[in-house]
Amino acid sequence: MERSTSRLKVLAILVAFMFAALTTRLWFLQVLAPASARESIDRQSARFVDKDATRGRIYDDRHRPLVLNRISLEVRVTKDQLGDDAEGELLRLSDVLGIPVKEIRRGLDDKDYYDYQSKPVAYDVDKNISFYLSEHEDEFPGVEVVPAAVRDYPNGTMAAHVLGVVGQIGADEIVDKRYKDYGVNDLVGKTGLEKQYERVLVGRKGRQKYLVNSNQEIVRVLGEEPAVPGSNLVLALDLDTQRIAEQALSDGIEHTRTLFDDTQDPPAYLKANSGAVIVMDPTTGGIKALASWPTFDPSWFVRSPSKKQLETLYGEHSGSPMLDRATQLSFAPGSTFKPFIALAAEQHGIANFGSYYSCPPEYVYPGDTTTVFHNWTTANLGTISVDTALKVSCDTVFYQFGADFYDRYNADQLGPDATLLQDSLQQFGFGTATKLDLPLETSGLIPDPTWKEEFAIEHPDVLLPDEQSWLPGDDIQMAIGQGFVTVTPMQLAVAYSAIANGGKLCRPHVVDHFEDPAGDTTHTVSGHCNKRTLPYSQAELDYVMNALTKVTQPGGTASTAFAGFPLSEVPVAGKTGTAQRPPFQDTSWFAAMLPAGNPQYVIVAMVEQGGHGSTSAAPIVRQIIEGLYGIDSGGVVDGGSTD
Amino acid sequence: MDLVAGRTFASERRPIRHLDPVLLITTAALSIVGILSIYSSTHRGLEALGEDPTIYVKKQVAALILGILLLLVIATVDYRFFKVYAGFIFVATVLMLVLVRVPGIGSTANGAQRWFQFAGFQLTPSEFAKIALILMLAAMLSELRTSEPMLSDVLRICIVSVIPMMLVFIQPDIGTTIVLVAIVVGILVVAGTRSRHLLALALTSIVLVSLAFQLNVIQDYQIQRLTGFLDPQNSTDATNYNRKQAELAIGAGGLFGSGYLGGTQTNLDFVPEQHTDFIFTVVGEEFGFVGAAFVLMLFATLIWRAIRISYLSKDPFGTYVAAGVASMLAIQMFVNVGMVLGIMPITGIPLPFVSYGGSAMLANFLAAGLLLNVHMRRFK
Repeated sequence: MERSTSRLKVLAILVAFMFAALTTRLWFLQVLAPASARESIDRQSARFVDKDATRGRIYDDRHRPLVLNRISLEVRVTKDQLGDDAEGELLRLSDVLGIPVKEIRRGLDDKDYYDYQSKPVAYDVDKNISFYLSEHEDEFPGVEVVPAAVRDYPNGTMAAHVLGVVGQIGADEIVDKRYKDYGVNDLVGKTGLEKQYERVLVGRKGRQKYLVNSNQEIVRVLGEEPAVPGSNLVLALDLDTQRIAEQALSDGIEHTRTLFDDTQDPPAYLKANSGAVIVMDPTTGGIKALASWPTFDPSWFVRSPSKKQLETLYGEHSGSPMLDRATQLSFAPGSTFKPFIALAAEQHGIANFGSYYSCPPEYVYPGDTTTVFHNWTTANLGTISVDTALKVSCDTVFYQFGADFYDRYNADQLGPDATLLQDSLQQFGFGTATKLDLPLETSGLIPDPTWKEEFAIEHPDVLLPDEQSWLPGDDIQMAIGQGFVTVTPMQLAVAYSAIANGGKLCRPHVVDHFEDPAGDTTHTVSGHCNKRTLPYSQAELDYVMNALTKVTQPGGTASTAFAGFPLSEVPVAGKTGTAQRPPFQDTSWFAAMLPAGNPQYVIVAMVEQGGHGSTSAAPIVRQIIEGLYGIDSGGVVDGGSTD
Repeated sequence: MDLVAGRTFASERRPIRHLDPVLLITTAALSIVGILSIYSSTHRGLEALGEDPTIYVKKQVAALILGILLLLVIATVDYRFFKVYAGFIFVATVLMLVLVRVPGIGSTANGAQRWFQFAGFQLTPSEFAKIALILMLAAMLSELRTSEPMLSDVLRICIVSVIPMMLVFIQPDIGTTIVLVAIVVGILVVAGTRSRHLLALALTSIVLVSLAFQLNVIQDYQIQRLTGFLDPQNSTDATNYNRKQAELAIGAGGLFGSGYLGGTQTNLDFVPEQHTDFIFTVVGEEFGFVGAAFVLMLFATLIWRAIRISYLSKDPFGTYVAAGVASMLAIQMFVNVGMVLGIMPITGIPLPFVSYGGSAMLANFLAAGLLLNVHMRRFK
């Protein structure tokens, strides 16, 4: 029995080892490594089915629809539920839809989907096909025709650049953190407001969470989050104004192409390959119209554009119609810059609004007789005041201002006077993006000595060795909006609005407010037009406004373009601009503020390779004003060839 | 005074006064854990089928009541009575094991022929073969004249044991065979078998098992289930699936568990055979480490009581019976929980008192009854 006792101890020790082993393993599985287990279980036992949210609609300022949603019939296939003869079924489906079976297969084999998910294989399916498929339901197990929401454009191509397009989320966006809650088949805004306000428009997907068992059968619904529709955008943009602006722009470009301009080098028919128009409310910063030419049809993006359509949309030979010339490209502003130069010169004591300046055909900077700066006209206009210099757009007067700014720089290269002109121009918003609510805005350029130095280092072959430092010509050219300076039409509209509204630099905005699906305003987009940020007195601004009023009057550079226009009813303050851009034809500009006493509109027109400001841009602006005020002067007018 | 004292003494010696409350409480606790776990793992599936969600629980409770009655009956009869009839019981059990192989009498499921079916109940003779073997070996060894078994005794024991082992093995039921082997080894060790005899026995077993593998006596799927845990990457999907799901369920429990009826794995049928062989996953997932460790502690207590009773027994027969029961419970607990935790091969061994199954329940209560019996009559 003693032996049994000691042998029982052996048994007890063995059992103790068993418990030690089990407890250790249990501790490892349950306490040290449980997180991954819980995750795996969640993955295998929960299934989610998304319910798409309705994308927000876009309305104009009077709540007329610009972008709506419509239902497109989509054929969806669930791979899991295909019948026993899946191949044969897909072949029959391919026959019915007229889509190659290979393409259908490719969609179904997509590894980004689960086999229990239904995948769209055809869009905008004909109703007859839909009926056929529903009638022969038993022949097509796993195939369904479902209505899916797509964008609808009741006004066709109207405001295409502003509205933008939506498309299936791209590979670059899928990996983007901002889109982490998007599915691989989701639509996202690609351009324009659709992109800018993606988060507002998209709403929140609804989601049903199912608990499934080991056979993937649904055990019960674990939870349901209803889809929250996206907010609607109500724009500052006015459909009527937009229609007038687009019509005027395309009419104007078409007309410009019939003009032979012998002032161009070499003399030729104007190409007028592109243009842009902005109508802005200077009191609010609201964009009433924004047009860019050439334009495109956003409805092409409802389905994926074909290869041919993509070439048209992005190809260079078609003029890159997707580009918004009003905000995404910058050009030399030419003489439209002069009002800002005049104000800067007055502020810094370089010009005096009461003094007179000579306006010879040529200007030579003292000490550099080899470079001759010409006026736009060969006539000697004598000694004139600043307002006349603006009215007749005398370059040589402004050359002197530019030269004086250069002298101030030269005398104080490291001090506060070095970039007086640049600082003043930047106060008007030039050189930085306007932060308008449209994507991919460019900032243009206000060159200064530091910039030129860096530019010379980065592009040593562009500038001659003796041109690589800041020269008198740089300030002189900038004074007439030439040289390295570039601006976007939008920047010019914002700067003119600041003159029009008494010195307030607005943040332009296309959207006025958001509204929830019930129609209640949820957020208002402000132009911040209530802060006076510019250092000019009302008298100085009035002086410039007054001077610009004469531009459209007899003797002014836009007098031909506004011949016969009832200026007594609607006084128009404006400024022409002709920017040279060799080897291309001149860029034509016109900026207008009206009615001049109390401006309600600022209109900027730009025509690339459009000749003089008066030639193509001014007539376009006139046509827009006539449209706004219901004045009929019988079509496009000839503006002549004045700056 | 003497008379009074004598009567007092006699009454103190009455077996009923020497129940082992710890043993009883432990078996009761394990049975309750079992019933709760069976409900948790089956009610949803049964509901989905439109059946009574408590049907398994009801059957288990019925088996439990029957088991308690059996325990009471076994405990009342002096255990030495079983020593006398051990041979008869053993032969009867072996006959049952033979009968269950006869087509038309025994029932078949999952390719195995294991039980008798009558009146809605199943009787699995291999469960009772364990008890019969314990009694038989204890009876044989307690009748030895020598202080320790001679080689001839060991051989006799082996020959007797091999009969039910082979019958169970060809059903095929490898799990129960392992339990039978553990019982033989356990009793032989406690009976004082010499180490070199034990060693020789072990070597012989290894040779025999290798031969069995070589001669394809064991089915491929059985080999795979047995070896799958050693090499999870190369085992078949089905084998891996059971193991993976069980480990996931255990892991999901964490320290405190997901709460009773709150286990995802448990409620969604991801763990196969959950109410029988994988019942421990329910405990692990819903009560966490704390609950699982508590159940292990209950088993430890139970086995400790069995070993203690073996030690306290007044005669070798009682010692060996209790040692056999201790071995049986320990190996079943270890292989079953080890399988769930992924450190032992997958074999169909139920967890004593916890797993669903009437025959196992009855056999376990029978074993508990024997333990209690030895405990109650430990005074000479």
